[in-house]
Amino acid sequence: MKMADQTVILRRNRAGTKAENFYKWADEAYEEMDSTLVVQQFIQQSIRRSHTNIDAILAAPETQDEGVWKYEHLRQFCMELNGLAVRLQGECQPATCTQMTATEQWIFLCAAHKTPKECPAIDYTRHTLDGAACLLNSNKYFPSRVSIKESSVAKLGSVCRRVYRIFSHAYFHHRKIFDQFEASSSLCKRFTVFVTKYSLMSRDNLIVPILDEELVPQQGGESQA
Amino acid sequence: MDESSSQNQIGGGIPSSSATNRQNLDEATPRVQYSIPGILHFIQHEWARFEMERSQWELEKAELQAKIAFLNGERTGQENLKNDLVRRIKMLEYALKQERAKYHKLKFGSDLVQGSGEPPPGLLDDLGDDAGRLDGGIGDTSASILSCTASNASWKQSRQLLRQYLQEIGYTDTIIDIRSNRVRSLLGISGGEGSGEEGTGGGGTAPTINGGSELTAAKRPADQTPLRWTQPKKSMTSLEAQIKDAEKAVLENFDFLASEADMEVDDDDDDDDQEEEDEMNRMKGAQNLDGDEEGDAVDSLDQDFRYLSGSADLEDGSAAAAAGFGSRGVFVGGGGGPVGGEEDALEGLGELAQLTVTNEADTAYDISSSKETYRKTWSAKYTLRSHFDGVRALCFHPSEQALITASEDATLKLWNLQKTVPAKKSLSLDVEPVYTFRGHMGPVLCLAITGDGEKCFSAGLDGDIRIWNVPSINVDPYDSYESSVELGSLSGHLDAVWGLCCHPHRPQLLSCSSDNTVRLWSPQPLRAPLLSTYHLLKDGVPTSVDFVYESSNQFVTSFDTANCVIYDLETGKPVTRLDTDSADSSNTGSNLTRQINKVVSHPTLPLTITAHEDRHIRFWDNHTGQLVQSMVAHLDSVTSLATDANGLYLLSGSHDCSIRLWQLDSKQCVQEITAHRKKFDESIFDVAFHPTKAFIASAGADALAKVFV
Repeated sequence: MKMADQTVILRRNRAGTKAENFYKWADEAYEEMDSTLVVQQFIQQSIRRSHTNIDAILAAPETQDEGVWKYEHLRQFCMELNGLAVRLQGECQPATCTQMTATEQWIFLCAAHKTPKECPAIDYTRHTLDGAACLLNSNKYFPSRVSIKESSVAKLGSVCRRVYRIFSHAYFHHRKIFDQFEASSSLCKRFTVFVTKYSLMSRDNLIVPILDEELVPQQGGESQA
Repeated sequence: MDESSSQNQIGGGIPSSSATNRQNLDEATPRVQYSIPGILHFIQHEWARFEMERSQWELEKAELQAKIAFLNGERTGQENLKNDLVRRIKMLEYALKQERAKYHKLKFGSDLVQGSGEPPPGLLDDLGDDAGRLDGGIGDTSASILSCTASNASWKQSRQLLRQYLQEIGYTDTIIDIRSNRVRSLLGISGGEGSGEEGTGGGGTAPTINGGSELTAAKRPADQTPLRWTQPKKSMTSLEAQIKDAEKAVLENFDFLASEADMEVDDDDDDDDQEEEDEMNRMKGAQNLDGDEEGDAVDSLDQDFRYLSGSADLEDGSAAAAAGFGSRGVFVGGGGGPVGGEEDALEGLGELAQLTVTNEADTAYDISSSKETYRKTWSAKYTLRSHFDGVRALCFHPSEQALITASEDATLKLWNLQKTVPAKKSLSLDVEPVYTFRGHMGPVLCLAITGDGEKCFSAGLDGDIRIWNVPSINVDPYDSYESSVELGSLSGHLDAVWGLCCHPHRPQLLSCSSDNTVRLWSPQPLRAPLLSTYHLLKDGVPTSVDFVYESSNQFVTSFDTANCVIYDLETGKPVTRLDTDSADSSNTGSNLTRQINKVVSHPTLPLTITAHEDRHIRFWDNHTGQLVQSMVAHLDSVTSLATDANGLYLLSGSHDCSIRLWQLDSKQCVQEITAHRKKFDESIFDVAFHPTKAFIASAGADALAKVFV
């Protein structure tokens, strides 16, 4: 162990680590990661390096199983979307946003209930994220994070569709929050590229115009919210 | 013969036309095959059949015997359990009686000391019993002990005798008194008596109890307390070494006493009390103690006692009792640290154990042995999946079957263990969270819950401590958003907050942060919640903080430099600095590798436990700051610690992916469970005991939390 201490970097956030040093350790090559959570590690490492370099973040290592790659990315999206939900909690009131809408075209029904119902936008956001957390952690559909059944991979599309509505609602109704959040994480842009790249959503549904025009300033901070 | 003859006939091959002959022939025809090998074969076959049957019966018999043995074992198990429980009940009964007597004395101490009537039989069953037995043996006990203590050489012998008597009479007043005298003499407060042993020995010859009688009588219940501690484990020299602490302990105990002295005694004329008092006196009388020395001791303790100016209304009796308490302190401090084989029973009693002690000295052994036999084995029952990233902290609801987890995914989740999802494997159940707390913008690192389970606090990388109303555990997970769940936040820390500790009984919250401060908050009135800020720059970065439960106004903080210091809550001044520098230097790495990841304070004893990056768990005496024990506890750095509510067991988690359960008295590992997987080089972040129910839990970097039953 002592030998190992001297030769191996222990990648740990020990108690007392300052916020600026949190996760600040030398990158580990994908090939050298031997944990079962290697994909998550690798994705988070790329995001920490630079959240704006979306192509690099979404570039899967050659040997990587695509189902797991998509799954882990979606986990990461749902996790980071929590930051947007927290920001929305402060502003998006059930009284003002009584329905989950983006453009006037659609009212989204919340699928978390036995019979889908018109939840206020903030409830829709929370329920969708909670539901996604349950599904993506379900022992039934995703018992392993190393290999995933083809039938389970098919579930990812519907999760993507639902969580995307959070972006669209924020974009069309809480633009300020959306812009702040996007600046700090490039999450919507990354998500759009992600679902396009892996054909998880149809282009028609991607209503936030984020790829065509560079609406969002890209020099955000390092926070990974 | 008939047959053989007919066989012969047939063998002769003589055909006959007579009916009988034909009959014979008919019958005999099959008999032709009775050849020797045929018979042998038949016999062998039969024999084999019988053998088989026999072995079957034997098998059956063995099975039944095994069943009998099993049932017998179960029965003895139940019996032991029953005995154990009965013992505990007795202990508690006795403790209650002691308490009553003490309160009575504090109020009417001087009134009651003179009587020495016989106790009415039947009122105080076990006490009477013990006293009766004591009456028989006590003269011998004191005499032999007193004479034996004259020299150090005979000390061992007397110890043997002591043990014997402890077992025989189960009642050790005399011993305690002698030891208290001994300690006092060592403390140098016995005037010109010379060495303590000689003094005591001289006292032993004095035939009667003298002027100090009321003091001794009043002192008794307190003296009973240290019984367990004083079972001679340490040599006199080690006692000497700890005298200083003992004195400190004396002073500390006065606080406690003061409050106690002010308490109302409810049932003054209670027969039990009266009787018990009487008995005490009688026993004291039988002990032939040297009153002068006793008086001196009390005098000098009295001087110390003046610190207690606040409690001026104490009467003589209570003052004497105070002296008694003082001696309790002496023993607690001087008993060779809080770690001893006899702790078990004490710890089993929790708080009570500190106040009064059982009437049977050997109870401890019995309890521990029965525990040994019927120890619980923990197994994973619930898997808590819902977090997206490592679970950094968890805590149980104080009364419900529920817990809260905090994760690097910036959320907290509330889990109701009674709402499970049927899982694929029948062995463990999946639980889905009933509520998700969203409010943090970055990883949540620590978590604390109030004693009533109504509020919880969380803090993380963003430096804010958030206060939450804990929703009902039966809340619908997809209910509408209630902004009232989030009660606000405590701002002040300038960097990541790594440790939170909520006092179970007081509205106080401690937080430690990598901005080199520890802060004390009073989260009840939110207007001015920050009570104090302790700047601890010179010791390093605080990593973990805990209240010292054994003392009312202290807290302990560990640092990344491997320092660990107990501070006064009021003044913020260090009280005891744990001697971490001289701690065994078997692993002399850099400071980083010896860093303390977690510190916990024992719920009842003056014991601090630290979890180190260098794989050790270390135990410290709060009074002396000395290392009590150090052990390599895991294969990798130890990250988390938890003690159960009674202080009997310790749970530790490590980056080696396993949690281990330790028996605190023996420091033996009782069970190891591999619980979580690694993410980078991290595995287990937190472990917890349910304060009231039989659950333990672990939180891991693999985004899971597990609950074991």
